[in-house]
Amino acid sequence: MFDRDIWQEIYHSISNNKLRTFLTGFSVGWGIFILVLLLASVKGMQNGFTLQFSDDATNSIFLRTGTTSLAYGGFEAGRRIQLTNDDIEYIKRSFPKDLEYISPRVYQNTSARYKSETGSYNIQAVYPDHQAIEKTIVNKGRFININDLVNASKVAVIGRKVEEDLFKNEDAIGKFVEFNGLPFRVIGTFTDDGDDNAERNIYAPTSTYQKMYGQTDHIDQIALTYNPNYDLTEALAFSDRLESVFRRRYNIAPQDQAGIRIFNYAEVFEDISNFTGGLDIAVIIVGLLILLSGIVGIGNIMVFIIKERTKEIGVRKALGAEPWSIIKLVLFESVFITALSGFIGLGIATGLLAAIGPSIKTGAFANPSVSMSMVITATIILIVAGVLAGLIPAMKAAKVKPIVALTDK
Amino acid sequence: MIQIKDLHKSYKMGKNSLHVLKGINFNVEEGELVAIMGSSGSGKSTLLNILGMLDSSDSGEYILDNVPIKDLNETKAARYRNKFLGFVFQSFNLINYKSAAENVALPLYYQKVPRKERQEKSLKYLEQVGLKEWAGHLPSELSGGQKQRVAIARALAAEPKVLLADEPTGALDSKTSYEVMDLIQKINDQGNTILIVTHEPDIADMCKRIVHLKDGVIIEDKKIEQIRAEQYV
Repeated sequence: MFDRDIWQEIYHSISNNKLRTFLTGFSVGWGIFILVLLLASVKGMQNGFTLQFSDDATNSIFLRTGTTSLAYGGFEAGRRIQLTNDDIEYIKRSFPKDLEYISPRVYQNTSARYKSETGSYNIQAVYPDHQAIEKTIVNKGRFININDLVNASKVAVIGRKVEEDLFKNEDAIGKFVEFNGLPFRVIGTFTDDGDDNAERNIYAPTSTYQKMYGQTDHIDQIALTYNPNYDLTEALAFSDRLESVFRRRYNIAPQDQAGIRIFNYAEVFEDISNFTGGLDIAVIIVGLLILLSGIVGIGNIMVFIIKERTKEIGVRKALGAEPWSIIKLVLFESVFITALSGFIGLGIATGLLAAIGPSIKTGAFANPSVSMSMVITATIILIVAGVLAGLIPAMKAAKVKPIVALTDK
Repeated sequence: MIQIKDLHKSYKMGKNSLHVLKGINFNVEEGELVAIMGSSGSGKSTLLNILGMLDSSDSGEYILDNVPIKDLNETKAARYRNKFLGFVFQSFNLINYKSAAENVALPLYYQKVPRKERQEKSLKYLEQVGLKEWAGHLPSELSGGQKQRVAIARALAAEPKVLLADEPTGALDSKTSYEVMDLIQKINDQGNTILIVTHEPDIADMCKRIVHLKDGVIIEDKKIEQIRAEQYV
């Protein structure tokens, strides 16, 4: 198939029409270049979105209550719904199969002091499970454990920023810090990929805060993650079930949005993946259309080359060239020009992305890049494109009558 | 070698049909050197096209080396051409970006002869036409007579049964024409069957037999005393 003679033919044909070959090759290279950059941009958006949410477990659900806005079940509107520890146990009992981690959140503002340094921070009083839900990275010491919870220990896990602010260059682990005048022992520090603000948080055991402030079992919010094997439909079905159970439990009208709010990341992810998926398709269509003009260009040049070489093809046929060998010649040349110029476009695009991609990291756009599968797909597209571009000219060439070589008196 | 019986061919020109060959009968034995003569429109080119399997006849029989030539598809025709026939054209029709040796090797390429053997053979035939030292030159670096000799070497390379030459001297001056005819005569001396289409009487006189065509029929078919071209070179 790929003997020297065919390469020689292709080389001759290209070197005889350098400018023409370059111009048509350029259109294919440009098409692939644009296609790759567009796809990489969509990938960058996906990366950006994922990065923004990767802070929390993507299978998490947050349940919050408020004040009812509708009268329902014999109760007047304006009733305040208060979640308690019982709700946690209730969910654990009711949804053992669906649940992965669960933790309450009790919010408290506090002014913290260590030696002469002070600052104002948010405290979240949580269960040990919360570490998995919020994907908290403990870089020193440990997170709150079950003993802390049972004993209502006055311990705290502080964010990196808090440690920086209060302890300066000291190691915070084991030190005592005052929250609203009460001493808490620092058992760990954490970092957060999400943002600096998250690192200004402080975690403490729920029980500690419930005891300190009025011996209540009140909680402000329930954070949980569901079975990670659930797909989107299962996840949405689960949050619907959870919501209807809680509406019944607290006699909240089904259409009352103020009484209870459930926030499911799955919904957000569904929207985002729909959006980027749609964008992907749009980009592929646009890219292929650009590529199409390149293919037409190559088809055009091939028709021209064959017209110029009609006589030569006739001579070859008179000498015994079978139609297939002529088709082969044209197709190879077409595929060669297409693939070569396409690879150059691909190379420049991937090179560009490799060089500047990793440094791009703004808001919803991060590290635009091409995957191996994309490169392989582009290669296949190019070869198919080359065959398509060469097909009509090749058929035309195969139909050349050898008589033309003789009738040139 | 060639048997032709009652060959008819007509071309459709719109509503009219142009009857070009009106029943041609003739045989060519192995080793003959035949000139086909006739004025333009006499049907000699059509006859050559049919002999060269570049065109098909409407009716009649064509047997080449005991193989009936009929119902050929493109691929089969290409194979038969490659195996049976060598072509020499008026305008040489060398491929201008291939060297003389590569041009000669081209029919061998279509016979799928290995590259090395192709090169050896092409040099052998270039030597036979006296152009061995020009093997690496492009056609543009050769004179008209040299080009035609390369073309003849190319036609010989495939070792065909019959050599078909369409006005082989038509584009050459008389001195070069005689050189080429001298070469053709020498090839014929080695036993090769050659058909030449020409309208030049002096070229025809250098063959061994002249077939005269007029208005699609053979009006004269005679064996002649060959005039050797050597004496004019």
